[in-house]
Amino acid sequence: MKVMVAVKRVVDFNVKVRCKADGSGVELANVKMAMNPFDEIAVEEAVRLKEAGIASEVVAVSLGAKPCEETLRTALAMGADRAILVESDSELQPLAVAKLLMAVVEREAPQLVLLGKQAIDDDANQTGQMLAALLGWPQGTFASRVELSEGQLKVTREIDGGLETLALALPAIVTADLRLNEPRYVKLPSIMAAKKKPLAVITPQDLGVDVAPRLKQLKVAEPAPRRAGGQVGSVAELVSKLKNEAKVF
Amino acid sequence: MSERLGITEDDRAIADAVARFAQNELAPQAHIVDRDEIRTTRYASQLAELGVMGMNLPERWGGIGASPAALILSIAEIAKACGSTASMIGAHYLATDSILIGGDDMIRDRYLPDAASGAKLGAFALTEPGAGSNPAGMITRAEREGEHYRLRGVKQFISNADDAGFIVVYAKTDPNAGTRGISAFVVDRHTPGITVSAPEKLMGIRGAPAHEVTFDCLVPVANRLGEEGAGFYTAMKVLDNSRLDVAATSLGLSEAALAAAVAWAKERKVGGEPLANKQGIQWMLADMKLRLEAAWLITLQAAAKRGAGEKFSDYSAMAKLCASEAAGFITDTALQVHGGYGFTRELPLERLVRDARILRIYEGASEIQRTVIARAMVA
Ligand SMILES: Nc1ncnc2c1ncn2[C@@H]1O[C@H](COP(=O)(O)O)[C@@H](O)[C@H]1O
Repeated sequence: MKVMVAVKRVVDFNVKVRCKADGSGVELANVKMAMNPFDEIAVEEAVRLKEAGIASEVVAVSLGAKPCEETLRTALAMGADRAILVESDSELQPLAVAKLLMAVVEREAPQLVLLGKQAIDDDANQTGQMLAALLGWPQGTFASRVELSEGQLKVTREIDGGLETLALALPAIVTADLRLNEPRYVKLPSIMAAKKKPLAVITPQDLGVDVAPRLKQLKVAEPAPRRAGGQVGSVAELVSKLKNEAKVF
Repeated sequence: MSERLGITEDDRAIADAVARFAQNELAPQAHIVDRDEIRTTRYASQLAELGVMGMNLPERWGGIGASPAALILSIAEIAKACGSTASMIGAHYLATDSILIGGDDMIRDRYLPDAASGAKLGAFALTEPGAGSNPAGMITRAEREGEHYRLRGVKQFISNADDAGFIVVYAKTDPNAGTRGISAFVVDRHTPGITVSAPEKLMGIRGAPAHEVTFDCLVPVANRLGEEGAGFYTAMKVLDNSRLDVAATSLGLSEAALAAAVAWAKERKVGGEPLANKQGIQWMLADMKLRLEAAWLITLQAAAKRGAGEKFSDYSAMAKLCASEAAGFITDTALQVHGGYGFTRELPLERLVRDARILRIYEGASEIQRTVIARAMVA
């Protein structure tokens, strides 16, 4: 079966993000970018399916500006077979991403689409769900375990009360949670080999998708700074502060 | 992200992959490695799997086809996490570079793929108790006995020696011919007649122990690297490469020290104000940054010359001198920024200072680098 994975280029999770002074967005100049960590988990899962002989081909897809090619190269180095960049310099909101992914799905006809549960830049947590709705496919979100048996996909998902297991008919959409797997270290020879794997570039126009934003972003602001904590010298002092200052009892 | 001069996207991708491994696997252990003198040779197989142990080699012998700049960036990332590990890798490269530069395809085929795959670790034996900065003064002898050489002598400060699969040994085949009488040999570590001493008690890089090694053994003629008398030339070429590795290690330690100093200066309050607001501290940070960036540039310049196949002995000497002296200054100043806390063993500053100290000494002390630089100008 063919597996498709959506990978987004985001600000590296180690970077302390800052807002632009004019409140128009997050500062991206001179900031280290990387693959969205949940997407890395999704790629790892796809590659494991291939190594287990379940997947026949893994196709990585990214939507965004030219530098997304670097993110796709990382996916190829991790073991994806080929990559597709849908190149666009416009802002892509989850609905536009889902529509573009749907168009790619219609071309590629994968049996399984893996996504991250959310992108750590906007934390939207919408794309996978929207894509499933648009395609009319079953979805297993926040997956912490994926198993294929007798043509059915068993997805264990993390929910507030614990774990829930769903059985999905293929084709299906799965979004990866943190505990699904631990992505491998990319080997240096694979990085070199990834340069030779095919990477196709297409545009939203090629796919006939209107990507105009439906939501307007008014302002981006930093959260109010947390007040510094203090140290207490003894349990008695702690109890007294809880009582008199924090007034918890 | 904007990059330093001459670094490509591929170089960055490789360095990022190495950095991830180094930060996850090496950095959390670096303190314990230092404290308990744990040999970083334990990481050799993981590093080989990643592709690092053969990174100095062409693809034909297990390398990855990376540029010299990618090699520099990768070593710097490892040193940023753990200086001992960078040193262990450097010693391995000294051995494999010797085989690559001095040997023919037959001996390259015999040793290099195993060295790249982590099956065999390399060690490099040039220095002797009476011959450090003056390798021509070595007295270890290799005397022909039929299809073998009888190797006799003592080598000093040999990193990786105990865990090595092979040791590249430099010895005199003709004691009357000066530097032209030196030849290089690959010796299997477990050849009868090799004695490795207990490790030296070192100030820093305590996870990369150095040993005295005594040889009284037979080495097959087929294990000689190149012609008799070619050893000194090989060693000099090998050192051109390794000085860049030392420069890279210096840069990595400096990066770690400077990052710690900046974070501390922003965090630490004096009289209700961050340390970073004090001009005295700002000037320290500025001087550290300046020396670090200057060292990066000259090191990348040397790497570019190496990549272009130009002669780069003087540039690698300048890179090593500039970067190792900068590392001394930067690690020491970073400790100063931390005040009394910097002097404790709870924080990594004192380890960085100790690890950086050897960089001005091994693979040609700062004084020797100046000689190399000057010679290229007046010779
Ligand atoms: N621009 C994009 N390119 C590729 N995949 C994306 C993009 N935006 C979102 N995704 C995928 O959708 C998941 C959820 O994103 P979000 O709904 O924005 O939190 C991500 O983890 C990706 O797998």
